[in-house]
Amino acid sequence: MDKQKILLFGYGNHGKYIAKGLVEDGFKVQIVESSETFYQNAIEDGFSHASKIDVTKDELLTALKPETYTQLVCVMDDEHLNVFLTLSLRSLFKTCYILAISDSIHTTKKLQMAGANKVIDLYEVSANKIHNILNRPIATQLLEEFVVHKNGIGFKELLIPSNSFLNGLMTDDIDLSTYGVLLVGLIDEERGHHFEFITAGINHKLDSGDTLVCIGKEEKLQAFEQHIKKKEA
Amino acid sequence: MNQILLSIALFLRASTGYKKSKTFIRDILTNPNNPQKKYVDISIIFLIVTSVFILIYEVKHSVPQWLDFYDIYIVSFVFSVEYILRLWVHNDITETIIKEHKESEFLGRQFMPIMVLKEGLLEKVKYMFTPSALIDLLAIFPAYRPLRVLRIFVLFRVLKLLRYTKSINQFTEVLSNKKFELLTLLFLLFFIVMTAGIAIYVLEEQHNPNIETLFDALYWALVTISTVGYGDISPVTPEGRTISILVIISGIAMISFATSVIVSAFSEKLSELKENRIIEQVNKSKSFLLVCGYGQMTKMFFRHYGEEYDNYIILENSQERMEQARKDGYDAIFEDASRFETLNKFNTEHCDITVLCLTASDVENIYITLNAKSISTSIRVIARANDASMLSKFEHAGADHILMPNKVANSMIHTAITQPTMYKAIHAILTGKSIARIDEIRAYECDAIVGKTIKALAFKEAKLLFMGVQHNNEFIFNPPSTYIVEKRDILLVMGREISLDYFKSLYAKEC
Repeated sequence: MDKQKILLFGYGNHGKYIAKGLVEDGFKVQIVESSETFYQNAIEDGFSHASKIDVTKDELLTALKPETYTQLVCVMDDEHLNVFLTLSLRSLFKTCYILAISDSIHTTKKLQMAGANKVIDLYEVSANKIHNILNRPIATQLLEEFVVHKNGIGFKELLIPSNSFLNGLMTDDIDLSTYGVLLVGLIDEERGHHFEFITAGINHKLDSGDTLVCIGKEEKLQAFEQHIKKKEA
Repeated sequence: MNQILLSIALFLRASTGYKKSKTFIRDILTNPNNPQKKYVDISIIFLIVTSVFILIYEVKHSVPQWLDFYDIYIVSFVFSVEYILRLWVHNDITETIIKEHKESEFLGRQFMPIMVLKEGLLEKVKYMFTPSALIDLLAIFPAYRPLRVLRIFVLFRVLKLLRYTKSINQFTEVLSNKKFELLTLLFLLFFIVMTAGIAIYVLEEQHNPNIETLFDALYWALVTISTVGYGDISPVTPEGRTISILVIISGIAMISFATSVIVSAFSEKLSELKENRIIEQVNKSKSFLLVCGYGQMTKMFFRHYGEEYDNYIILENSQERMEQARKDGYDAIFEDASRFETLNKFNTEHCDITVLCLTASDVENIYITLNAKSISTSIRVIARANDASMLSKFEHAGADHILMPNKVANSMIHTAITQPTMYKAIHAILTGKSIARIDEIRAYECDAIVGKTIKALAFKEAKLLFMGVQHNNEFIFNPPSTYIVEKRDILLVMGREISLDYFKSLYAKEC
């Protein structure tokens, strides 16, 4: 996978941690801040290319060349500024993928109206989590560990190469547990570019170009990724 | 003699059966939070109602023999047993005797169990003279048939209802708060009735054939001042009528005064009564949620999942937000969850309580956590922490789960950026709404799967994806198919809700 470039607006409460995580995962992160303190924090944390600009000025935003980035992430601490920034970016760059964070119920709607492709509502995800803890405490905890790859178990997206042995096989006939991985779901390009869970009960025909989403131990996943490149099982 | 008393006391204390039965009976008779108490209450109320019904029926009809038998023996017998039990559990004489023995040994003085026995018995006698105990005793009397007049004592059985119906208790409680006003009023009433009664007696005794004694005069005064005015006695002289006018006017004033006192007593207590009702209601359920704070987090939680939770109370220490919660249609009370008294009102003994500390302040959340854990360690606490540096403090305070909204959101953003396709999937799994619920099958709730191998379980038939098993606090991912499920294991599966239900139905009954 090519190194993805992320333009991160805001290095406050959220930006700081997101930037760190992204860098660890090998993403190229460009930080933009308007507050002097947060900008200094970013510099101290090693983001020497961080830029400090007034994000309300359109010409300064254009100068950042947002269209060259894979995603624009708006996580400014000031929620008014965040909404305004999302709106400016959307009006300047129609096709960019914008992800924004919302700190309150009312802001979520405003961000969506401003044109964010995805809004993550702090309170909504937390409310979900409370509900999960109450009903499925262990599953919740484990799932979170999977997401952050704690204990070595995690999810992985695997693209089926053109001459893989998986080509033409049906999902009901394959058993990946022998490889130490479990098939959670897939993107079956024949059925459209969207993710489907294996538990939906559809018997998919695998083709090259389809994406498998598997869960398993890190090393097993990597071994399996190599394995599917082979012609024979 | 002393030795005999001591050995009896020691024997009783050593007997677990005695202790257990005493605690059980005390709990079932006096602890309103005991879930079994309601059965006792209902049966006693039934006995009271039937007994009163028989009394009324008897006035014009002859009562069949069996009903009479029921009334005399069964009802009275149950009441006597109840009376004796209440007397028994009122205090512990054995404990005081043993304490006295220990103290006398320690001080080297003579062991005098008679003294403490006397004290203990005196305590019981004191109890016998409390109004409720007297009512209990009088309610037994109608069993004694030779004295017909004792039949009217059946009405004391009605008074017994006081003990068993909360609302009447609350009524008296509310009125007792206005004791001073009501006593003043009563004194005033007494004063006016006496004065007017004596005046009319002096003025009309010679002229009015209806007023012969002072009692007649006082009776007239009371009937008039209460605005009842039967008219059986009425003044005939102008002087008497003048007094009537004065009595009537003061009567109207007094009635309006009494009404306003009672109404204000109720309106002052209304919100408290309402809150007590909510608490009582929730205390009767097996498990419930105590949600502390009605901020954005709580709002969001209830907006999404409010319908799934029936037993909950929102505790909010700001009047404004509490009213907002009520307006939004949730059960909220105006209480400070960090106070011991607040959480202690809840039935920690018989219910599973989960406290959600969702206020915006970490300090407050930690305090509530500590408060809940100090009342009972069995209370589960899920606390919200805004600042990562507070994490260890929450752990020290004993929170079972710590929720960091910022961290949760950050990790979601991270996933959304790094694994955009997966984000939807993970989000779906985390919200648990879609076809991709990850759920737990607890082996102890589902005996039929214990002892079976993974291969033998019908995951495939139910279209479930078996992910692993939590065994002795350790998660085994994708265990070999020969793994045998043990009683304390928790199986982690992914699939649709109907798949899970189907799977459970395959191993039905115990599940």
